[in-house]
Amino acid sequence: MADVENGSPTVAEPLDLVRLSLDEVVFVKLRGDRELRGRLHAYDSHCNLVLGEVEETIYIVDEDDEETIRTVKKNSEMLFVRGDSVVIIATTT
Amino acid sequence: MLFFSFFKTLVDHEVTIELKNDLSIRGTLKSVDQFLNIKLDDIHVVDEVKYPHLSAVKNVFIRGSVVRYVHLPANAVDTALLEDATRREAAAQANKAK
Amino acid sequence: MDVGILPEPLPPQVFTTGAQLLDLTDKKLVIVLRDGRKLIGVLRSYDQYANLVLQDTVERLYSQNLYADVPRGVYIVRGENVLLLGEIDLDKEDDTPLQLASVDEIYDAQKAESAQKKQREKKKARKLHSLGFEAENELIL
Repeated sequence: MADVENGSPTVAEPLDLVRLSLDEVVFVKLRGDRELRGRLHAYDSHCNLVLGEVEETIYIVDEDDEETIRTVKKNSEMLFVRGDSVVIIATTT
Repeated sequence: MLFFSFFKTLVDHEVTIELKNDLSIRGTLKSVDQFLNIKLDDIHVVDEVKYPHLSAVKNVFIRGSVVRYVHLPANAVDTALLEDATRREAAAQANKAK
Repeated sequence: MDVGILPEPLPPQVFTTGAQLLDLTDKKLVIVLRDGRKLIGVLRSYDQYANLVLQDTVERLYSQNLYADVPRGVYIVRGENVLLLGEIDLDKEDDTPLQLASVDEIYDAQKAESAQKKQREKKKARKLHSLGFEAENELIL
């Protein structure tokens, strides 16, 4: 248990890397043309997440000019993200 | 079970649920189950003009699998406690796998 | 199971699918399905997967500010196709800004709308896919 409290530095499986990112700012890519950047406060084995101080970036193809891609940014103070939308969780720094 | 327990601590708080079809519903969290199906009371739809079929609806049961995000009030979340619970859940999972 | 966030404020039996649906039993509900259909009916039975039995069901069709009802009778709905259930406030039910139209009128309007939309969505998805984005599981509203 002491090992757990200190956050064991070993990475035996992929989600261990996510555990080491707890309380760090992470980048998350989602299905549906979205990306998030925020501080990781919780996750589980389904990749359900809770992020704090999140900036969401949505990529949108312009209605009339289909060659340009717009991005819309949204902010949220605390966000639960359902794991089935998650594609990538990446550490930043 | 981490998020099931987490959502139970948020009962009676105002949240906004964004579904995978972009519909956003704001309301008071009343209940949650193990699939993270959620019941909201006193709801209003964020873009009501676009979704007229919910104008006379007072409470909803939302199936967990169609949720994209739940926007939470930051002051209702103890982040240190939550991170601790996450580490414990991860350790429990690792032990189970052994 | 107990991750020690807080002591549980309510008895645990409240937090089951069955308990959540029990409150909605015998109420007039709107059910939104994954394919975008809206059913209005009275919930008579359900199980832990949120499979539902609806009585006196009508399917309500929408197109801009028009709507039409198609009588459907008794429905058994498989839970995984349900997006949400909403309890209808009977006092507010009638003050809708929408106008009743004939079913054929709505069908025609919907057909035109959905053909256009499908083509637009296809083009967009192709463009975004070339940038490495993945579409979400298809959900309509």
